[in-house]
Amino acid sequence: MSFRKRNIGLSPGVDRNAVSNTAQPAPESTPGIRPSPDDGRPTTSTGTRSLDNLLAGHAGLPMGKLLFIEENGTTDFAGALLRYYAAEGVIQDQKIHVVGVPEQWGRTLPGLIGSAESLDEKRSDRRKDDRMKIAWRYERLGEFGAVAGSRDGESREPQALSFNMLMKIAPSTPGEQDPNAKEAPAFCHAFDLTKRLTHPSITNMSFIPLLPSKESPFAAILKRLQTAIASSNASTVHRIVIPSLLNPTMYPPESSQPEVVLQFLHALKALMSAHANRVTAMITFPLSLFPRSSGLVRWIELLSDGVIELCPFPHSADATATSGAATSQEEPPQGMLKTHRLPVLHERGGGSDQNVGQDWAFILSRRRFEIKPFSLPPAEGDTEAQDTAAAGGMPKKSDLEF
Amino acid sequence: MPSQPPLPPLLAPYVSSLPDASLTLVSSILGATSNWLVLRFLHAALSSQPTSTFGADDLPNGTKKKVVLVSFLRSYEFWKTEAKRLGLDLARLTERHEFAFVDGLSELFYAPQATAAPTSSPGLGSSPRTTLPLRSPPGAVLGRAPQPAAPTGPPGNTAPKQAEPGIAKKLHFSGRGLASLDAMEKDVASVMEQQKTHMEEGDELILILDQPDLLLATTGPSMGIGATEMAEWITGLQQHAHATVLTLATDAPLIHNSSGLGQLATPIETEHAALAIGLAHRARSVMQLRTLETGAAKDVSGVLRISRGGGLSTENNLEEREALYFIQRDGGVTVFGRGES
Repeated sequence: MSFRKRNIGLSPGVDRNAVSNTAQPAPESTPGIRPSPDDGRPTTSTGTRSLDNLLAGHAGLPMGKLLFIEENGTTDFAGALLRYYAAEGVIQDQKIHVVGVPEQWGRTLPGLIGSAESLDEKRSDRRKDDRMKIAWRYERLGEFGAVAGSRDGESREPQALSFNMLMKIAPSTPGEQDPNAKEAPAFCHAFDLTKRLTHPSITNMSFIPLLPSKESPFAAILKRLQTAIASSNASTVHRIVIPSLLNPTMYPPESSQPEVVLQFLHALKALMSAHANRVTAMITFPLSLFPRSSGLVRWIELLSDGVIELCPFPHSADATATSGAATSQEEPPQGMLKTHRLPVLHERGGGSDQNVGQDWAFILSRRRFEIKPFSLPPAEGDTEAQDTAAAGGMPKKSDLEF
Repeated sequence: MPSQPPLPPLLAPYVSSLPDASLTLVSSILGATSNWLVLRFLHAALSSQPTSTFGADDLPNGTKKKVVLVSFLRSYEFWKTEAKRLGLDLARLTERHEFAFVDGLSELFYAPQATAAPTSSPGLGSSPRTTLPLRSPPGAVLGRAPQPAAPTGPPGNTAPKQAEPGIAKKLHFSGRGLASLDAMEKDVASVMEQQKTHMEEGDELILILDQPDLLLATTGPSMGIGATEMAEWITGLQQHAHATVLTLATDAPLIHNSSGLGQLATPIETEHAALAIGLAHRARSVMQLRTLETGAAKDVSGVLRISRGGGLSTENNLEEREALYFIQRDGGVTVFGRGES
């Protein structure tokens, strides 16, 4: 057992010492950058706390690395991640370069709630209060009850975003910023998708349009990125944001030629490794248009430092009943998340991280994008077992024994 | 865990004694990259003793080895820090002319603006889409085989740019087709020949090409470069080296799509498969890295399969085997058989 802090659990019930642990390596000259607990390299936050925690023990995106987020289907969960990433950069006074979308995109960044830690603390507080009431060995029995009377159980859960709850929270949110967040600069912030970000440095974002050109449409982009980064102050940290790469509504057809896009990504990689301590990038990519089974996509993945695939579940009205929530107390996951490659870890050869290869589920709610281990629900037809347990009143002996 | 020797004993025979004119192919996939194995090759060739205590120049057993590493996907910084974990000081080795790094990443396609020749993007949009690959006739290649060993100091433009320490040369791709490949071959060859001038009789020069398949993927038949041209490019470089180690991506989409069952294969897939299979036939041994079929495990990073390649000489002195490997947080590697630990 080493003294190094293991990854903070991704489960929502993060206990408080884990939270304070992550907060402590704060003394860093640049705000928003902290050394990785794994090997000390500088990292920055993706703006999504649970995504930070997924990144192979670094608790953030290591500087100089490119994260490639693929999404199946027509949903835009990846876009939400990208907005969090950009918004986090704005808050941290980093320079944001957005490629290929008009400036409206920048106006849709989610509003700031506070630091992610304060949000988590509050949540875990409430959760703890709930927990305290019952001894842990009976907890399971309580859940059984909740399954039976499902509506009740759900609204009791603080996490459930029933509409009433939203209305209760909403008025207090703008001023809700935790005082602690002011003292130590926060590494990761929480954002609210229904609000709009207002921050003095939001005007600092630069939007690089795709200009029609005879040669590669990426050449001009690259040139602008290069000059912007090279000419900026050495302490300025940059974020490169590329929404929906190769999406035909934005990119001309010839840009999906392998030689065009792969040369761009290779050059982007070169640019980032030349300024390895000041640049990070995040790219989203529509998998429905370019399947993973194609050679082109595989090469794009090979050129990225981290590859994450989002597979949203097909939407269904009775999602709670059917798809993946272990109990009705948890929100149903909205999709699966697969990590194909993680920054730094796989560059070294890969494999030894506890997060690799696990099945992850993600939930996007108004205030957070949450990634947690995926677990299959009890078999659908198996209601008898639950009924007898609930109706019988007296739980079986095996339920109490351990 | 106890600290591991930098070179796992099971791996040592395969990475340390590379026979003359041999090609070793290292194949990797997305989730099982080959960098750690390349580092083991570096270590086997460059560390003076297996325990990596930085000894004097006298080697106990025979030949000294020198390495030229051409990397298309990783920067010098990466190799330097990772090699340091193994006790190799690349900067110092470079000074002693035992190691040379050729940078195929930083300026391959877009030179920085200081030197900005507008050669950067070679007229991509204008190139006509042809269904058949635009190959130059094989006759055009004739010029390369008799190319003499030492064009030391290629004329003018590349030599003066050596701003960064440790990087012997930065490769540039300009123009299209064979001409640009030839220019790059010349660049790499010049570095190798330069290394040779510091070699004594009996020393061995090992060339490590890290993912040259990137060149093929980023150019492709529409720019006049296909699998044949790439294979010849590699052969041309092989001639300057004692032994060659080459890493290559062999993800399923890059290899199996070209078999043409069901879906239409794109040029990037067919050409890549042709290159990979062609090289496997020429190689003395193929070291295949892949992830576990059964899913990820906490104490296994992947599977290493060592098999004979088509180019193995008749004496068959290579034992085939399959082993598991595990890369620890500190960069140490254990290689072990299934069921062992």
